Formats: sequence, C-alpha cells, structure tokens
Amino acid sequence: MEVSVLKNFLKVAWRNLYKNKSFSVIHILGLTIGITVCMMIFLYITNEFSVDSFHQKGKNIYRVMRGYDATKARVAYLSGPYAPALLNDYPKEVKRAVRVMPTQGLVTLGTNSFNEKHVYAVDPDFFELFSFPLIKGNMASVLKDPNSVVLTETTAKKYFGNTDAIGKVLEMDKSLQLKVTGIVKDVPANSHLSFDMVMPITNYTTEEWFKNWRNNNEFVYVELNENINKAQLEKQFPQFMDKYMGKELEKMHAHFDLALTPLKDVYFQEASTFDSVKHGDKKVVYIFLSIAVLILVIACINFMNLATLRAVERSKEVGLRKVLGAMRNSLIGQFIGESVLLTLISCAFAIGLLLLVMPWYNSLLGYSLTVSWNTPAIYLFLIGVIVFVGILAGSYPAFFLSSFSPIQALKGKLQLGKSGAFFRQALVVVQFSISVFLIISTIVIKKQMSFVKSKDLGYSKEQTVIVPIDNNDIYTNRLTFKNELLANSNVEAVSLMSGEPGGFYDRHSFDVEGQHNTYNARTEFADFEYVKTLGLKILAGRDFSPTFATDTTNAVLINETAARQLGFTPAQAVDKWIINNMRDSLRRRIIGVVKDYNFLSLKENMDALIISPAEDRRVAVIKMKPGNVTAGLNIIKQAYAKAAPAYPMEYTFLDQKFDTTYKADLRQQTILSVFSGLAIFIACLGLFGLASFTAAKRTKEIGVRKVLGSSVQNILMLLSGDMLKPVLIATVIAIPLGYYSADKWLQNFAYRTPVQWWVFMLAALITFGIALFTVSFQSVKAALANPVKSLRNE
Amino acid sequence: MVKEEKMIKITDLEKFYRTEEVETVALNRLSLEVKKGEFVAIMGPSGCGKSTLLNIIGMLDDPDGGSYVFNGTEIAHYSERKRADLRKHNIGFVFQSFNLIDELTVFENVELPLIYTGVAAADRVKRVEEVLDKMQIMHRRNHYPQQLSGGQQQRVAIARAVVNKPKLILADEPTGNLDSSNGNEVMELLTDLNEQGTTIVMVTHSEHDARYSHRIIRLLDGHTVVENIMI
Repeated sequence: MEVSVLKNFLKVAWRNLYKNKSFSVIHILGLTIGITVCMMIFLYITNEFSVDSFHQKGKNIYRVMRGYDATKARVAYLSGPYAPALLNDYPKEVKRAVRVMPTQGLVTLGTNSFNEKHVYAVDPDFFELFSFPLIKGNMASVLKDPNSVVLTETTAKKYFGNTDAIGKVLEMDKSLQLKVTGIVKDVPANSHLSFDMVMPITNYTTEEWFKNWRNNNEFVYVELNENINKAQLEKQFPQFMDKYMGKELEKMHAHFDLALTPLKDVYFQEASTFDSVKHGDKKVVYIFLSIAVLILVIACINFMNLATLRAVERSKEVGLRKVLGAMRNSLIGQFIGESVLLTLISCAFAIGLLLLVMPWYNSLLGYSLTVSWNTPAIYLFLIGVIVFVGILAGSYPAFFLSSFSPIQALKGKLQLGKSGAFFRQALVVVQFSISVFLIISTIVIKKQMSFVKSKDLGYSKEQTVIVPIDNNDIYTNRLTFKNELLANSNVEAVSLMSGEPGGFYDRHSFDVEGQHNTYNARTEFADFEYVKTLGLKILAGRDFSPTFATDTTNAVLINETAARQLGFTPAQAVDKWIINNMRDSLRRRIIGVVKDYNFLSLKENMDALIISPAEDRRVAVIKMKPGNVTAGLNIIKQAYAKAAPAYPMEYTFLDQKFDTTYKADLRQQTILSVFSGLAIFIACLGLFGLASFTAAKRTKEIGVRKVLGSSVQNILMLLSGDMLKPVLIATVIAIPLGYYSADKWLQNFAYRTPVQWWVFMLAALITFGIALFTVSFQSVKAALANPVKSLRNE
Repeated sequence: MVKEEKMIKITDLEKFYRTEEVETVALNRLSLEVKKGEFVAIMGPSGCGKSTLLNIIGMLDDPDGGSYVFNGTEIAHYSERKRADLRKHNIGFVFQSFNLIDELTVFENVELPLIYTGVAAADRVKRVEEVLDKMQIMHRRNHYPQQLSGGQQQRVAIARAVVNKPKLILADEPTGNLDSSNGNEVMELLTDLNEQGTTIVMVTHSEHDARYSHRIIRLLDGHTVVENIMI
C-alpha cells in the first residue's frame, strides 16, 4: 500500500477513535484488560516452564528418587550414605553426587538471632553442580572448610547491612561458628531449590545418625557423564539396593527402588506430600492458559461486533473511497490496519496496567515474577498478540464492509443482513457461554473450599495452638515445657506428637496378628494426651493411660479404617498384637480403636493410622480453655521462653491449618474469581456497546411504537428481551460444560461438595442480572425518549 | 466538418433488478450518446432509471446487457478492478448529499482522489490549493465538513470532483439539498467547468437547473422519451 494512502487511513482511524469516544473506550478498555490478563498469565506460564532451566549442566543432572510402595509416588529423601556409595559403585556413570539437606537453625550475630528456615547443608561442590552465581567467593572452594557458609545477597544484607560480609562469623545453633566465604545471588523464583544460606554438610557427616542407611533426610542430585543412558544406570540400582540395604529391607519386609528424575522434570513431578522443594502443577498451568485464551476471545469478539456495527455508520466513507477508485484489498487493509492500531494502543495501556497490578499479582501468587523487558520473549508475545488480535478482530468487519457495492454504501443502505446478525448473536453467545462457565467454576471452587473448611474433621480444632519442636533446647526441655503449661489453669490439654492433623504422618510397615502379609499404614507417635487434646472418640477399648505401666512400650491405638482394612470390627481389633517393622520388634497390643478423623488433607482418602507412644516428637499441640486468645498465647510464650530462651517461639493455630493445606487451591480460587469477574466485565462492555447501537438504530421504531400507544414497559421488554436472548442461549450451553469441568476438578478431592442445581441457577442469575443491568441502561434511555424528537430526526 | 468525438456511446443498455419474486426492469434497451464537451441533463420521474443510468455511466455498476463505449473503449464487461482504475482517472462525482468524509478536513477531502491516483505529495498540495482557490473556499481549508454551510460543502465536493482534472463529471441532483441562491452558485460553477472543456452529465428534478445544460434527456420506464436541445 502506498505511503500516502496509509497515512490517510491512519488519520481517519485516529479521528474516528477520537470522535466516537465511548466506542473507543469500550474497544480499548476491553482489549487492554484482555491483553493484561494474557500478559499476566504469559509471565506465570513462562516462569513455570523456565523452572531450573538456568542450570548450565542441567541436562546431565538428575534427582535420585526412592520408591517404597509401587502404588505411591516416589520420595526424594535419602540418607547420608547413598551419595558416596553411588559415586563409588558407578565411577564411569556418575560424575558427581551432591547431597542437599534442608535444615533450619538459630543463627546469631552479636545480640541478634534469627531462626533461619531455609538453610541447605550441602556437599562442597554444590555450586559447581548448580548454576547459582556467586557474587563473591570461589565456586570450587567456597564450601571446602566445614566452618564456612554462603549467604544470599538478601541474607547478607539482613545480617551485615551494606558492609562486606566476607570473613565475618555467624553462629549456628549456639554451637557452630561459620565464616562467610561467599555471597550468592538471591535464588530466582524459577528454581525448585530455594535457600537463604548454604553450609557444608561435612559438619554432620561424622554423626552416627547421618551414617545410618535408614535415616532419610536429604536429597541427592547426581551429574551423569556425557552420553550415559539414564535407563541403563537405573537397571543396576536393584543390585545397588540389595548390596547396601538388602538385609535391613528384608527385616523390615520393605522394598526400596531407586530412580532418576531429570532436573527439568523435578518441578512438575507429582511429588509426595513431604517434599520440601517447590513443585508446580501442570493442571493449574493449563487452567490458567485456558482462561487467558477465553478472555482474549471475549475481548476479540467485542471488537469484531462493535467494529462491524460502527463500520456500518461509516458506509458513506467506504462508498466514497470505492467511487474514488479504492480497491477492495485496500479497504480490507484499512480496516485491519485500524484494528491493529487499536490493539497497539491497548497493548501500550496493558503494559502500564500490568506494571500497576504486578505487586498485587505477586502477592497473590506468593512469589515474585519479574517482567524481563530485556529478553525478546515478551516482545514476541506482544507482537503475536497485536498480529493475532488485530487481524482476527479486524478481519470480519473488513471483509464484511469491503464487500458492499459503492452505490449501496453511499446510500447508507448497508444492510446488516440476517446471516450477519446471526453471526454476531452467535459471537455474543460464545462470550456469555465463557462468562457463565467461568462463574460456575468460581462458585464450585468457592463452595468446595467452604465445604472443606466447615466439614467436621472428627477432631476439635478450636483454641488449639501448634508449637513446633524444632530446636535442641525445646526438644531437650519438652517435658518441662509441657508440665509448665499443664500447671496453668487456662490450659486444657497438651500433647507432644510426631504430626498434628494435616501434618506429617510417615508410612510404616507392620506385622499384625492374623495377617499373612505386611500391612502398610500411616503412623502417629504421641504421648498419652493425644486423644484428649484432639478430642477424638474411642469406639472400642480404651485410651492410653498412665495407670497401665505397660502402655508406653506395649500399647497402640488404631483408627476405624485400620481395623476395617485388617478385617476386624473395632471390638475385634482390641487386644490383637502389632509390630512396627521399621522401628523395633516389640509386640504391642491394640488397646483401643478411635473413630476416623481427617488427619490428612481432604484431597486424600481416609487412611489407616496406627498411634503409638514410641518416641518421635515434632510438635506440641496445646488446647486452651475457651477465653482470651492473647492471654493464652502469652502463657505459652512464657513457658517456651523458659524452655528455649534463645529461640523466638513460632506457632500456628490448628484451625488455620486449613489455609496452609489448601494454599494452592485458595490461590486458584482467588485468581479464578478475579479473572471470571474480568471476563464478564469485558463481555458486558460488548453487550453495552451492542445495546447502545441497537437502541440508536431502533430510535425511529421506538418513536412509532410510542406514537401508536406502546408503553415504556413494553418497549423496555422489547429491547431488553432481544438483547438477552443470546445470554439465555449461552447459559444453556455453558451449564453442561460447567458441570463437566466442575466434576473433573472435584475429583482432586476425596471429600467433595455436591454440585447442586442451584449452582447453575445462581451462575445464570448473576450473568442475567449483570447483562440486564447493562442492557437496561440503553433501553431505558431509548424508551423514555420523546417520540416526536426521534421521528423528527428521520 | 470535423467529426464530433463521443465521450459516451450507449447502445441497447439493459439493467434488471431481481428479488426472489419479481424482476424489475430499470433500463430497457436504452441508447444515448454524449459528445465530448457536452453538458447533458437527465430528467424523469422517480424510479425511471435515472440513477441506475448514472451509476452505469459512472462505472459504479455494470449493465446486464447492451454496450457502453467510454471514450472509444467498450467497457460493458470490464472487471471491477479495471472499471475502478478507469473511473478514478476519468470521472468526477458530485452528489446530492455531498458525501464528504466527516473525519477529514476540507483540504484532505479534496486531496483524497489524488492519493488514490498516486499523485506525489508536493504536487497534491499545489493542485488542491489551486482548486480550492478556484472554488473560493481556500479560507476554509482546515475546517471539517460539519463546520460548513450546505453551499460550501457542495463547493468542496465539486472541488474534489475536479481536482483530478476528469474528462467527465457526473452530478446527481447537485442542488437537491441547497437553497436557490446556493443552488444557482453551484450551477454556475458547473457551467464554468463545462466551458473549460469538461463533459458534464447531470441528473436533476429541477427544470430550472436543467436549463443550464445543452440538452435534456427525459427518461420514462427505463428508456429515452424525448431529447430537448437547449442550444
């Protein structure tokens, strides 16, 4: 196209935009929101798929996974001896094996102490394996000395401000002196490993617990030599397990196998609940992706519909251009060009809007996404959006308009034919189907979340505080702590245990009286106050009791599910013996059966649970008497300060455990509500435009009708009814789709809220209400207008 | 005697309009000629085919039968593209409702045909200014159509029609939307253009306007009834 023709088009396009401000606002606002949402989701998705891609040796790095039950996902935790044994046994294949032990500790500098939760104890070549760039310090030697520590930039700043941290000494857990030997760049959001400080694992390698093959508490990453086949190496692992753990496993009636997960797959690997690294969910990625596409489609449809309607008003211009010799192609070019221009403007606004909402978006996601303006990806994406939206949205009006003969066009007789009207209505149906669908999804997610929240979990969670037993001092003084609390009249019960409801429940194998096979069940190790503190119900037998001297070594409680799985009624189960193969060979008696309670997330089915008083205390669960929460907390804090004075006390409330267990789902819920709100907003923008156009086009008709005696109500019904028909059809289409996907999403949960008819009714009502509100704006205006005026206008 | 050259020679021209139920004959084997430099008025009752004829002469529409020789070339079966090309170089249009583009200024409206015929920018400015000057609306060059009176708007439209120096101007009720004094002014302008050599074919309802022409062709039911020679 010639430059001056192009200039002329731009000029007309710009003046048109300016002249029809409300239409332009609808166009640009809709597209801006659409593009912003797409960019947000684009950032999210590129971040998800870029996880761990920055490691230069990435393609040769694998995480060693341990399987213990063919039906369950493998776990990442291994014990200390694995890594050296792998290096020793497979020197040709394994170039490097690095252990990463997530830990925490009280870090002290002078009078300041912080409980550092994200500490990794690692093998010295950690920084040679992973590409976490060091700002200061030498990659190869930085962790050679056991008394060294590497801090992230932020951590260094936290302790040392702007002074140079290198060479300074931090104290770990009041015993270990660690000299800062390196500063590493903060771990990016797209890394499955995440830490604030890194120390050498050599501080622990001589400990007895560390040398035990069964003490699984760290991850092992291996770097394989070039051209080593992962599958072939994995084939040798059964032999490896047999060599080192054969006897022990036999004794435990257990079977371990090893597998290698390529580094790039670690993030999306379906992990066991107890994997402390960051994991992503492909399902969420796909949900987000679909939302982005759906919202963009809605915005594009607005664009097409409104541009077509607007273009009719410009028929004179089209006709004239044709008379003056414009070819069809040139007109198509003009209209597509205009829509590309609008998209361009919207993109500019979208970038501004994106920067504005980024902080909110980051807090919603729970991590920081940064827009990398210096990489081509975002620009390619924007160019893609401009081309795609501009051409898609511009093509229909372009072809539609340019097809008219100049005579028709000049007479202003561009009839929006029946098929055209049908097409536009169909587009509105698509828009509202998407909106209704998103609303249904939002309602179902909200409903399920509140179902989960309000479900009777079978234990009492009110006025209950959880204090982790996560340092030496509190562990050593745990009984003093407990007794101190029990001495207070505000405290109803205290129990020390391995895992609070929703927390950690290891799976062990058991031998049970009358069973031929080994029996697998979840375990809880707790003191005698367990049942009382959690308010559990005993169905048969009795609770642990200090009056029976043998209970500590000789008794277990099991839950209903365990009894049923073993083929017993609760009463029959009592007095049967049971042995925990993984811990000892003591025959314990089942002294009671507790009613099932949801100790796991509601996403998981009820599982069998064996509660025994054997040692393993990880949390203190404190049940307060009803009353002042702050006063109660103060009592706990004072007791804690006596037991572990150096450590700041951390606590959570049992009834808030919900929020952390379902964090991802709650996030999805919020994001989905926001996005479906935006979707329906954009759809209504379009409907508003359509309604104002219809009202304007039918001014004369309305005038005539009023002159002939039609009432305002009649006209309102007439106008609104016509506009709402597509919304009605959309609702009918969206309901089965909504039902299908809601049902699919709910499969994630073992305990599901029923999807009742009123969910759909509500979604339909919401959509209808908003659509009616939108349409009636214009309808009322048109219906109330003086007919004399509208007729005179003709 | 020098052989008079023909601008338009139409023979047995036919045009039908069809709907699903009826076929209407708009032009019924119509024949006419317009010589170069002539000023012809076409008159007739509503629905007699005046506008259809003008559209075909203006190459905005193609006939269903017959022959149309424009400036010596048979164009009855030209493609849309070829017609558009021929049209933009040879024909200027003046409409009853002016048909100026609201989003463009006076200057830009007049400039538009030059853009489509690919005239260079500097040349365009010169030619537009020249013609605006001639139409005495130079002072309005940066105004938008809505800011002008009807007479002024029609002058702009005429300026736009002549800026490309067309051989033929087609005027469809050029005074239909104007009061009599503005109307007369427009007719004077057309007469001037004709005197300078431009062929003009004008459709009109007004006997007064028709009197400015050399010849009146009266149509009835799609064919010529009478031709009045005015001079």
